[in-house]
Amino acid sequence: MIKTLGLFLVLASAAMAAQDDTIPWLGNYREALRQAKESHKPIFVEFRCEA
Amino acid sequence: MLSPKDSPLGKQLSQYVLLRITRMDDTDVGLFDRDWNNTIYFFALNAEEQMYFRYGGRDAASPDTYLNVDSLELALRQGLERHRQYLAGALKLPERPKPMFPREIPLLVQRTFAQRQCVECHLIGDFQNIQREQDGVLDKLTHLYRSPDIKTLGIELDVPKGLVVKATSGAALAAGMQAGDRIVTWEGAEVWTCGDLQYRYDKVDRRAEKVTAQIERGELGDRGGSSVGLTIALPERWWWTDLRFRQSSVDPRFDFEDRPLSAEEKRKLGLAPDGFASQVKYVSDFARIRKTHELRTGDIIYAVDSVERDAMANTAELFLKLRKKGGESAMLGVIRNGQRIQMPLHTYVLSFRK
Repeated sequence: MIKTLGLFLVLASAAMAAQDDTIPWLGNYREALRQAKESHKPIFVEFRCEA
Repeated sequence: MLSPKDSPLGKQLSQYVLLRITRMDDTDVGLFDRDWNNTIYFFALNAEEQMYFRYGGRDAASPDTYLNVDSLELALRQGLERHRQYLAGALKLPERPKPMFPREIPLLVQRTFAQRQCVECHLIGDFQNIQREQDGVLDKLTHLYRSPDIKTLGIELDVPKGLVVKATSGAALAAGMQAGDRIVTWEGAEVWTCGDLQYRYDKVDRRAEKVTAQIERGELGDRGGSSVGLTIALPERWWWTDLRFRQSSVDPRFDFEDRPLSAEEKRKLGLAPDGFASQVKYVSDFARIRKTHELRTGDIIYAVDSVERDAMANTAELFLKLRKKGGESAMLGVIRNGQRIQMPLHTYVLSFRK
């Protein structure tokens, strides 16, 4: 299930980035805060291992 | 192939700023505190770092017991609704937790930063506990037995539906909780996901005798239905969980498992009725290799270092976990074939790096 959920989110992020570059998964917390302030969007954070 | 933007989950995700963190080096572990033995975990928050929900959580049986695409979608939808309320100034959120960074844990710095090694999530929890033990502030009931299991209270969740109860038994049933109820607060704090509930349950004082919950019953709209307050009496050792999945925990290991003796078994053996006497039910082959002890399946352990009773422990195994540090030794009082014998036991801790 973890792998399924993780894979789905990875696919989702890749597909979304391909279709619309304004919705990437960021890798920097400060940048996420900045974008959230600017766009008035909430932040969704995923913690996982690199492997 | 799934089209993320058109899928229910994709539609929710696209309304958030998405962030993936795979290294903990510069992460505020005070803000993003959680049980660090979860493989994957999610948070939703606003730009002022006020938390909307946590998503994740596990039990000893499996790392994905509480993970589900439907419940994640539900949580994301609820998070967006809360964000709308926040933007409208209609949402009061708890204060941001005090910041804390991995570099503030000296032992973690020595073992990871100083060696240019990745600060993995589980290492945060591992080294917090090692540091606490070294500093003399480790509270095993709280820090070692993290994330008590709600199933111990008799609460089985309908996981795809978030905090909707699927079945109740034991303490939860006795308190009046019913299948179909939705848990909305726990000890006064709002909970929206299994992750929220597990986190709030973990905050309960291990010496507490009850917890309070607010549930919604009836029509299951977004927080619709009638609201009912429940007080759940905590059973003995409600905080206990199987620690075996916590591979790098500071608890002493000793290669055997036991079960508590019944009152009748203790009476027949002439043992204290309120003692922690237990019967060995499993001995790992590693006991012989590591020379941990010479216990055999079926042995009765009636004392550890001449102590037979403990306010918290109901077995010798639990007594050792609670009262000994990893690496310490003990003298066991054992009954084997009707004879009382003394037997040394040497504990150990697992390695913290692969």
